Amino acid sequence: MKKATLSLLATAFMILVFAAESYGIPAFSRKYRTSCSTCHYAAPMLNGFGKAFKNNGYRYPAGTDPEMTKEEPVSLGSEGYKRVWPEAIWPADIPGTSPVSVWAVGRINYAAQSDVKWEFEIPHEVEVLYAGTIGESFSFFGEIELENEDNATEIAFPFALQYDGSPSFHVRMGMVHADPTPNHLKLTRNHYNMASFRSRNGWRFRDELVGLEVWGAGNGSGGRGGFTYRLGVVNGQGLSDMNKEKDFYGKATYKIGGLGEVGGTEGAGSEVSEFFLDDNLTFGAFLYSGTASKTAVADEDFTVYGGDVDFWYKRFILNGAVMLMDSRITGTPKRKSMVYYAQANAVFYPWLIGLVRYEWEDRDTGEDLVKPVNAIIPGVTLMARANVKLMFEFKKFFDDANKKNDTFGVQINFGF
Amino acid sequence: MTTRVVLSLFVFLASSVAIAGDIRGKVKAKGWKHSGDAVVHIDKTPGITFAVPEKHAAMDQKNLVFIPHILPVLAGTTVDYQNSDDVLHNVFSPDQCAEKFNLGTWPKGQTRSYSFKEAGCFPVMLCNVHPEMEAYVVVLENPYYAVSAKDGSYEIKNVPAGKYTLKIWHEKLKGQSVEIEVPEKGELVVDFEIRR
Repeated sequence: MKKATLSLLATAFMILVFAAESYGIPAFSRKYRTSCSTCHYAAPMLNGFGKAFKNNGYRYPAGTDPEMTKEEPVSLGSEGYKRVWPEAIWPADIPGTSPVSVWAVGRINYAAQSDVKWEFEIPHEVEVLYAGTIGESFSFFGEIELENEDNATEIAFPFALQYDGSPSFHVRMGMVHADPTPNHLKLTRNHYNMASFRSRNGWRFRDELVGLEVWGAGNGSGGRGGFTYRLGVVNGQGLSDMNKEKDFYGKATYKIGGLGEVGGTEGAGSEVSEFFLDDNLTFGAFLYSGTASKTAVADEDFTVYGGDVDFWYKRFILNGAVMLMDSRITGTPKRKSMVYYAQANAVFYPWLIGLVRYEWEDRDTGEDLVKPVNAIIPGVTLMARANVKLMFEFKKFFDDANKKNDTFGVQINFGF
Repeated sequence: MTTRVVLSLFVFLASSVAIAGDIRGKVKAKGWKHSGDAVVHIDKTPGITFAVPEKHAAMDQKNLVFIPHILPVLAGTTVDYQNSDDVLHNVFSPDQCAEKFNLGTWPKGQTRSYSFKEAGCFPVMLCNVHPEMEAYVVVLENPYYAVSAKDGSYEIKNVPAGKYTLKIWHEKLKGQSVEIEVPEKGELVVDFEIRR
């Protein structure tokens, strides 16, 4: 019986590519006794304060985290031990209760071209999330993710340990944030096309990007807006690297107006207020250079670069990003690709958000025979409660090759 | 106007100094986590009016909590809302009797204010940035009120002798009222047991 169980587990469980950090973290609600909407526009998408919280290493801004923490942490050494160092371990603390949360995801799928047009994929995914701080200078995030993939269970278990020297200087080890999009904690169930776009040897942003990252953020003048940067080195294709080359990336953004990137209330003040408001204009640019390997073919050297614009105005958000990829494989012609999207969100009510996204993907800009894929994704997100979400999303393709592949999906999420 | 205020003050002072008693007692809140935060108050004081206090009342927003949670005030009182957190806060009320006011948002250390005009109004205070935050302002037409402590005890001092209706208000439990007669000296003990 035991052998049979193990055998079943062995066949059912596969090590999965990492999905990027993708959900809200209810453990923080418990720690601070606050609602999800303190940090989330609609979980997992962050609002201005949520970004500032993250930019402070999962802490409240301006050194106020200890007083904002409602859950007494457990001391791993008193403050006085700082004076004894290096004759003792530097003191720290850990969350007072287990910083574990669960996010559950179910789906009802419709696929126009599938034999089974409608299916109830409930559950689609369960994530056990853990996140918190360790004393003043370390924080962590991790997840154990179980996901259905054609009736097999895939498992992933990424984590990151982060040194938080200051808001402008963090060192992250493990799962990093090499993502080209603004608001990468997305509102939609469909991934951004540029996150899913593959190089010729199969690399893509969505997959396992683990390594080291230096990153930081700071407020702009008058405490408003500000900058973020990240520089990293990663394997590129998994926990065990598939080639001897390391991949490198960088991203920088600058936010004009709105809440400061590391928070604080200096210069703030308005006659209107809502958790989802953060009027600002943010520009970003990114670069990724890597090598992708695939069995039985030569290695691919590629460079990805691009930029994005993110504009928040009252109840509306307009954003878009463009990504260019140069791919070089010895013995084959170079390939240039272009992927972009533009999206608009509107908050009808704080619990009802409409969106529409247009996507374009030209795998080979020098080859007219390869027609670009382009699609539109209209959708509605409904927050039944702060931690219960329903998403209704349609994807309509316009290009000839995919125009019959329309999909519709309802996704339910809840977390605690 | 000035004459009226002076006369009112005279009546108030005369009654409170010369012929006034105290009301005290215990509140037992059944089915609630504690017996505090109930407002015990004299409903009406016929023939006595009270000037609008010049001194503002205060409600703080600190560590994502309204402090105090229950704030009884005399009608006409202006309440100053301070943001003591380094995060943006808001104060609004969906209640018509408080004109559905919304004060927007303001930085740490600053205040915005609202004057509560209508007695008998118990508007809820909310923050649209932090939906878990909640408080109440209890607007009354006289200053004879007390907020019960967590153990349920309360005391209203210097109530002019006479017959009144004593009321109790609670944010979640049903209110009650009792007819009382405050003695010219000494104290009157009135206990309440309130429930849903």
